Amino acid sequence: MAVETMSVEVAEASARGLVAIGAGLAVGMAGLATAIAQYGIGTAAVGATAENKDIFGLVLVLTVIPETIVIFGLVVALLLLF
Amino acid sequence: MFNTRSMSKLLVVASKDQLDGIVRELYRHHVFHIEDFVETEEEGYEGVKIGMPLPQASAVSTELLRIRAIVSAFGVARSDVVPERKESVSALSARIDAELPQIEAEVSDLVDRRNHLESAIRECETKIAELEPFVPVQVDLSLLRGYEQFSVLAGHIPAKVELPVPAEMYFSGDVSGNLLIAIVPNERLNEAEQFLFEAGFQSMPVPGEEGLAKDRIAWYTQEISRLRAEMEEVDEQVNARKEKHQTFLVACDELLTAEAERAEAPLRFATTDTTFVAEGWVPSENVEALTAALRSVTNGTAYIAEQDFDPVNDNVPIEFDNPDFSKPTEMLMDVYSRPQYTELDPTLLIAIVFPIFFGFILGDVGYGLVLLAMSLGLRRIITGGAGEKLLKVLRNASVSSIIFGVLYSEFLGFALPWEPIGINRHLNIGAEAHGHGPDIVLMLVVSAWAGILHITLGRLIHMRNARRMYKPGKHRNKVVFGQAGWILVMWGILFALWSMFELPLMPSFTGLSPIVAGMNIVTLLGAVMLIVGIVAIGQENSLELLELPTVMSHTLSYARLAAVGISSVAIAMVVNYIAIGMMIEPAMQDLSLMGVIFIIAGIIVFLLGHTLNTALGLLGGGLHSIRLHYVEFFTKFYLGRGKKYDPFGMIRKFTED
Repeated sequence: MAVETMSVEVAEASARGLVAIGAGLAVGMAGLATAIAQYGIGTAAVGATAENKDIFGLVLVLTVIPETIVIFGLVVALLLLF
Repeated sequence: MFNTRSMSKLLVVASKDQLDGIVRELYRHHVFHIEDFVETEEEGYEGVKIGMPLPQASAVSTELLRIRAIVSAFGVARSDVVPERKESVSALSARIDAELPQIEAEVSDLVDRRNHLESAIRECETKIAELEPFVPVQVDLSLLRGYEQFSVLAGHIPAKVELPVPAEMYFSGDVSGNLLIAIVPNERLNEAEQFLFEAGFQSMPVPGEEGLAKDRIAWYTQEISRLRAEMEEVDEQVNARKEKHQTFLVACDELLTAEAERAEAPLRFATTDTTFVAEGWVPSENVEALTAALRSVTNGTAYIAEQDFDPVNDNVPIEFDNPDFSKPTEMLMDVYSRPQYTELDPTLLIAIVFPIFFGFILGDVGYGLVLLAMSLGLRRIITGGAGEKLLKVLRNASVSSIIFGVLYSEFLGFALPWEPIGINRHLNIGAEAHGHGPDIVLMLVVSAWAGILHITLGRLIHMRNARRMYKPGKHRNKVVFGQAGWILVMWGILFALWSMFELPLMPSFTGLSPIVAGMNIVTLLGAVMLIVGIVAIGQENSLELLELPTVMSHTLSYARLAAVGISSVAIAMVVNYIAIGMMIEPAMQDLSLMGVIFIIAGIIVFLLGHTLNTALGLLGGGLHSIRLHYVEFFTKFYLGRGKKYDPFGMIRKFTED
């Protein structure tokens, strides 16, 4: 079996590609996690607001709490890319 | 500025025959927030009951119902009517007696006519629906009924069938659901019906019409259009009456609403057989004027006194007291909740910090100008209330966005003719990309600084609130030290980081010589701060220690300031690259028919892309900035749940005494 060799340029290019894939995974999976978390909270929040409009501010806060997850993902991705 | 308006608790006691005069005066001044009396069984309250409405209450309510019925029949909205002049109450009352019955008669006449026409149209539509299946039948419909020896069966059937009884049959597949008409002798009717039922037959009545179904449909269609025209005429008359009477009607509504509210006010007072007690809150600056007015209206026979109250535990109604600059931001506070009476009102802080965060995220001269134009333009349409305040907040935010756009040197994702000042957000997108790319790390550090300072400020405010709200003692000290503990933990971690890593825009102590175990003096200082901080948090409430990771997560949460902004720049630059770099520019070099199409498509992509990005920028910039306040900032100190100050009375637009 022949051992595959790659030139330095190819190795560098594929390393950059892997970094890009890593960044994509970081944002994408964090985004999915946020979506799953917000799905449950958001549904309950809309229901609760329909019952009592005064708690809109509170449920808005509860709904946006998982947003932090995707921001972390985005920060990791940006640090990877730049 | 940082306090809500100072309130006084006022007690008014007078004999019941003064009730009307006092209620009128309270209503006119529009400053008295009535504290509703609740009947109790407690000692000292024997014989004290909730008051009865004033005698005119039921008559006024009836009148009000009549007016509201007319208002809703005409579809008049109070906010749509521009008051020309204020009408005096006495003149208006006279007009109500004189004109209202006539208007009412006109309205009910028009409404009746309209309803009548509507039901006639509906009837015609039902007839048409009944006739439609019989369109293929080329026989006078009157021939399908009125037999003594025979019965006519008509209806839908899934497929053509042959009846097992002697019958005259007609079948058509031209209508949906097919049509079957069978004329069977009466003695075999049951048998035929049973057979058809099993074949899935759905019976329909034969329309009671003369002539061909097609002709009758045409006649009814014509009838409908005639009725519609008549209805339009009625609508025009309604509109004409509406134009003529709407000012009068809303003025009546206002007058009678005021009357009704006044008449029902005693329901909120405590009364005995001969006296009543009204308790409520008045802004301190208005106490003198109101007291004097009440004294003069009762000739000094009423007992009026300012009462002491507990500012922390008594549920004092809250009215904001802000400079003009931060007034619109009150709307963002109302979405969350009003502050309590003794705690710091952070409206002014939000009014300053929110636009800065917004601008930092959406720093672009182009988008800023679009949003500024939008906020100024919409003010003509949306007037008054929370909408207007929101537009003013947006105006401030877009001005900040323009300023940051100048610093970032950005215009719809393009570079302006100068280099970015301080922070560069230009990404390397497209073939002509050059430069070193965006200063991501720099932006993240700036965001972290924003978070550190914002959170520290929140903790400091908590300490200040604790000093205001709790009596000096053990509890207060615990709270103050707990908050100090949080600050120490955060800054302790920072000192430790600074002594180990060199970070841009942050002090660095890596050069200091180590003292113990590779740690220099600043590392040690940081460690001591961290430990002292944890102890301080733990002495307040050991469960709070579980929250320690939020020191990191809340600070990092401010990274969204950098991240959301960069993504907005990226979208803008990609749109520009697709529209101009890939579509318009290549087409310009070699102009042909295809090229022109490409140019037009490019312009559409450009407009659509930037419209989308403006909307995203507004949402991203606005929601993320306010979220940082609600979640990261407010959770450090804000209690909220203050009761809204809602004075008895109304702002009158159409009437005057």
